[in-house]
Amino acid sequence: MIETKSTPIIQLQKVDKFFGEFQALKNVNLEVHKGQKVVVCGPSGSGKSTMIHCINRLEKHDNGRIVVAGIELNDSLKNIDAVRSEIGMVFQQFNLFPHLKVIDNLMLAPRLVRKVKKAEARKIAMTYLERVHIPEQAEKYPIQLSGGQQQRVAIARALCMNPEIMLFDEPTSALDPEMISEVLDVMVELAKEGMTMICVTHEMGFARSVADLMVFMDEGEIVESAVPDDFFANPKSERTKLFLSQILSH
Amino acid sequence: MYVVVGWLDEFLWGALVVLQIFMVGMTMAVIWGLLGAAAKLSKIPVFSVLASVYTTVFRAVPELLVLLIFYFGSAITLTAIAKLINPDIQFVDIPPFWAGSFAISLIIGAYAAETFRGAFQGVDPGQIKAARSLGMSATHTFFYVRLPQMWRLALPGFGNHMLSMMKDTALISVIGVEEILYTAEIATSITMQPFTMYMVVAIIYLVFTTVIMAIIQVLEKTANRHLESV
Repeated sequence: MIETKSTPIIQLQKVDKFFGEFQALKNVNLEVHKGQKVVVCGPSGSGKSTMIHCINRLEKHDNGRIVVAGIELNDSLKNIDAVRSEIGMVFQQFNLFPHLKVIDNLMLAPRLVRKVKKAEARKIAMTYLERVHIPEQAEKYPIQLSGGQQQRVAIARALCMNPEIMLFDEPTSALDPEMISEVLDVMVELAKEGMTMICVTHEMGFARSVADLMVFMDEGEIVESAVPDDFFANPKSERTKLFLSQILSH
Repeated sequence: MYVVVGWLDEFLWGALVVLQIFMVGMTMAVIWGLLGAAAKLSKIPVFSVLASVYTTVFRAVPELLVLLIFYFGSAITLTAIAKLINPDIQFVDIPPFWAGSFAISLIIGAYAAETFRGAFQGVDPGQIKAARSLGMSATHTFFYVRLPQMWRLALPGFGNHMLSMMKDTALISVIGVEEILYTAEIATSITMQPFTMYMVVAIIYLVFTTVIMAIIQVLEKTANRHLESV
C-alpha cells in the first residue's frame, strides 16, 4: 500500500444509502489516494456497485460525506457533470452507444463536454483505441464486436475524457471466459501507468497482481480492508474467510 | 369508368386536400404526442394526471364524435362570443379544414403519446448512466443518446399512427371539407354511380397508404442499420 500524507483523491465518510426501506450502504468509510488501485469484492447484493455508483453520483448517498478530488458531492453541487468528466466508469454490460460507430462512441463526450474539435477528437480516439489494441475496429458498430472487444472500447471511451480516476463495475462478469484476459490485460496496463482505480471484481489473480488495497464488503458494510498479502493470507473476519474459500476453491 | 374522367380534376384537388390535412394533422399529432409523453413521465402530478385524462378521453371516444363535437362545439362557442360583440352575426366557425385537422391530430396524438412514452422507457437505463458518467449533460444525453435510440423503438407504432391519420382524413368530409370522399358524394348524387365513385376514393387511399408503408420500411431499415452484424 502506498503510504502518503497527501489528501486522498476519494474520501467516503460514514456513507449510508437507502433504496426505500433497504439499506444498501451502512457507514461506509474509504480513502483512496492518487495512483492507488483498490479492488472491491464481496457477495452479490453487498453494496459494491452501489458504492462506486455513489462516487460519481450516479446514485445519491443519503448520509455522510463523499469528497472526490477536493469537491464534496452534495445537492448544492453546481456542476456534477464537471466532476463526472474526471471520473471514467466502465460497466458490466459495456453500455456502448449502439447507434454510433466505435469511433463515434469515443468522440461523442470529448466533443460535447470538452468542446474538442472533430479532427482532434478523432486523433485522441484513435490513440486510445490503439492502447486497447483494436484500432482496426474504429468504423464498426458495437454489435459487430465480441464482448471483450466491446469492453475494451468502453475502457477507451472512458479514457478519452482523460480522467483522474477510473471506476470498474464488474468489467469481466458479462464476458465469455476466453475474453476475460484481454480485458484484464488492458486494465493491468492502465494500472501500471499509475491510474487511480477502483475495481469491483472477483478476478483474484488480477487483484493480487495490481491491488494496493483489498476491500471486502457484505450486507452494505466494509467488513475488511487490507493489503493483498494480508487479505489473502490472513483474513481477519469470518465472513471474509468464508467468501474467499468459496471463490478461491474452484 | 369513363364517367370518372369528368370528375378527375375534382378528385385530384381532393387528393391534394387529403395530403394537406395529413401533413398538418401529423405535424400537430407529433407535437401532442411528445408533450403527452413528457407529461406522462413527469414527476409533477398535475402534468401526469392531465396527460392521462387526455390520452384516456381521446382514445375512448369514437373519432367521428370527437370531430363533430370539436367542430360544432367550437362553432357554438365562437358564435356566442361573436354575438356579444356584434348581435347581427349569425354563425362563426373555425375553418373546417383547420378544425378537422386539429381534431384528428388530437386523437392520433393521444395514441402517439403512448408510443413515445413506451419508446422513451424502452431505452436501456445503462445507456443514460454511461452518458452521464462521461460528464454529458441531461440535454446532450437526451438528444445524442436517448432520442436516436427512442426513434427506432417508436417507428413501428408510429407507422401505424401515420396510417390511421391518413384514413381519418376521410372523416373530415362530414364537416364539409372538399376532399375525395366529399367529391365522391357529390359525384354520386349527379352520376348515380356510387360504387364507381367510392372505388376511386378507395384506390386513392390505397396509393397513399402504400407510399406511407414504403416510407416506414425505409425508415426502419435506416434506424436498424447499426444492428445488422457485419
